[in-house]
Amino acid sequence: MNGAELVLKVLQQQGVDTIFGYPGGAIMPIYDAIYASPVKHYLCRHEQGGAFSAIGYARSSGKVGVCLATSGPGATNLITSLADAMLDSVPLVAITGQVSQAVMGTDAFQEIDVLGLSLSVTKHSFMVRSADELAATLNEAFAIARSGRPGPVLVDIPKDVQLAAAAEPSDAASPQSRALNTSLAQSGPARQLIANASKPMAYIGGGVHMAGAMPQLQDFLTQCPMPSVTTLKGMGSVAKDNPYYLGMLGMHGTQAANLAVQQCDLLVCLGARFDDRVTGNLQKFAPNAKVIHVDIDPAEINKVRFAEVSFLGDMRQILPAIASSTDCSDWLAHCSSLKLQHGWRYDHPGERIYAPLLLKQLSERMPDNSVVCCDVGQHQMWVAQHMRFSHPRNHLSSGGLGTMGFGLPAAIGAKLARPQDTVIAVSGDGSFMMNVQELGTIKRFRLPVKIVIIDNQRLGMVKQWQQLFFNERYSETDLSDNPDFVALAAAFAIPGHCITRKDEVESALEAMFTWPGPYLLHVRIDEKDNVWPLVPPGAANEDMIMESN
Amino acid sequence: MNHTLNITANNEASVVERLLQVARYRGYQLAGLELTPLAEKAGLSITLTVSSDKPIHLLTSQLHKLYDVRDLQLASADIAALRA
Repeated sequence: MNGAELVLKVLQQQGVDTIFGYPGGAIMPIYDAIYASPVKHYLCRHEQGGAFSAIGYARSSGKVGVCLATSGPGATNLITSLADAMLDSVPLVAITGQVSQAVMGTDAFQEIDVLGLSLSVTKHSFMVRSADELAATLNEAFAIARSGRPGPVLVDIPKDVQLAAAAEPSDAASPQSRALNTSLAQSGPARQLIANASKPMAYIGGGVHMAGAMPQLQDFLTQCPMPSVTTLKGMGSVAKDNPYYLGMLGMHGTQAANLAVQQCDLLVCLGARFDDRVTGNLQKFAPNAKVIHVDIDPAEINKVRFAEVSFLGDMRQILPAIASSTDCSDWLAHCSSLKLQHGWRYDHPGERIYAPLLLKQLSERMPDNSVVCCDVGQHQMWVAQHMRFSHPRNHLSSGGLGTMGFGLPAAIGAKLARPQDTVIAVSGDGSFMMNVQELGTIKRFRLPVKIVIIDNQRLGMVKQWQQLFFNERYSETDLSDNPDFVALAAAFAIPGHCITRKDEVESALEAMFTWPGPYLLHVRIDEKDNVWPLVPPGAANEDMIMESN
Repeated sequence: MNHTLNITANNEASVVERLLQVARYRGYQLAGLELTPLAEKAGLSITLTVSSDKPIHLLTSQLHKLYDVRDLQLASADIAALRA
């Protein structure tokens, strides 16, 4: 056995059966080992796309995603995806080929210091210097990726290490996360804060579902009735029938969520990190609230907002320990009335398609366990506002890094992770073009991914900001020379249809869902439609701009 | 103000640049750096002095997370200042 064959063997021992990548010179021995391996490799058409597919696979399944790339440009093409995984806490192992050690440091062909480049976008990066270290390093990479706050790990393997003789790896330790130290010492003070609060609010991030604490969250919200809001990554965490769930908070959050958070006197922050897109002006965020902060990452506690009481560790243990009955029926009634008063309106005039209404129709029509993969921009916010999800693993959106080009390859990964579920990529005309080459991957593997392009022929979110904050100087946001998206899909043997009017939507969605294979629905909307509400930069969250302003 | 951190780390090729990256990115200027390999070959003793108006816990909490950092202590003068 050589080092390359050992890599595949260790992947199998780690329970990996699906990997994404792109071959090249310095990783050829590993690709030679793939040729005879039961691990299924999916050839992407760009390393960034392959890594996003691995992220989509990981986020939709909860498993570790694995991607491969060669040295030099292959490795540099991974950097954006590693950063995406870092900011959204996605367990990912990226394996890169490196030039042989004999020529390392000589600016050899396709040599780049990917270890150095990757350090600030990974939890850790390894360079493997000998085949003897290979198995232990790879196992450690998986353990790091899964443990604590999950994230990406890079393993750079020189070609000579891949070719060197290697001993058969012993059985890997079972692929579990490392044990967490959870202190419940502050449970008493936390319960006291909850019991004494007259306006408590649960602020829920992606950390709850990643901790496997969805059942404990529902129990907590039942035992301590309080309204709840979620971040972009926490959407789907609260049961759909919870009457006091107010939606997403923050820059494009619901009015009810933002107003209620500003009024609350206790914020129970669960697996979230007070991101600037959530808080708006930090000094004015939830100004009357004390904070209980529960997280797995010590660096998030007191990073941007002081917490009166904090917990580190396993959310599944912490939530039951801090549950306490609440006495806030007036507050619950008030939040319900806010929700009612500020509900979405879909009575958009005219015949043209109104994207929020279309996405609501899509949400109502899609099977309950569908996975929706977004790109970044206006359509992403409309998805968050107007679609409902039964689990955060069903809503894959590039939150922290906000990476255009995420959606299509993430949908490929999600479809391979969950072939029984419907997978929908909702993209914008700008974002779609950023990883459009992955249509080739969909074609090759006949992946029945449904693609909905919300096309306003603009870089809509940038244009919206130009309109509001840059005196309508529309610098470089016109995309009116977009390609014919249906013809583009047809070039990859993917059927599609273009719609422009409201009365075409239902039948078009029907056609898309009943078609057995991949399908592209091109939806043309008015470039004047914007995302509302919007909290302007520097403003408090209650100072949202509405459409009529 | 200056803060001095006494760090024990794995003597891996990238550990020092990673420490410096985190300090820079989180907003702390480098004011001093001493490295001493430990008697046991795989370890490195690092004295890192940084300058910033930010509270030092915002840096130490990030450095603690680094895979190759085994131990990190604020120098006693820093601890005394924090308690004062």
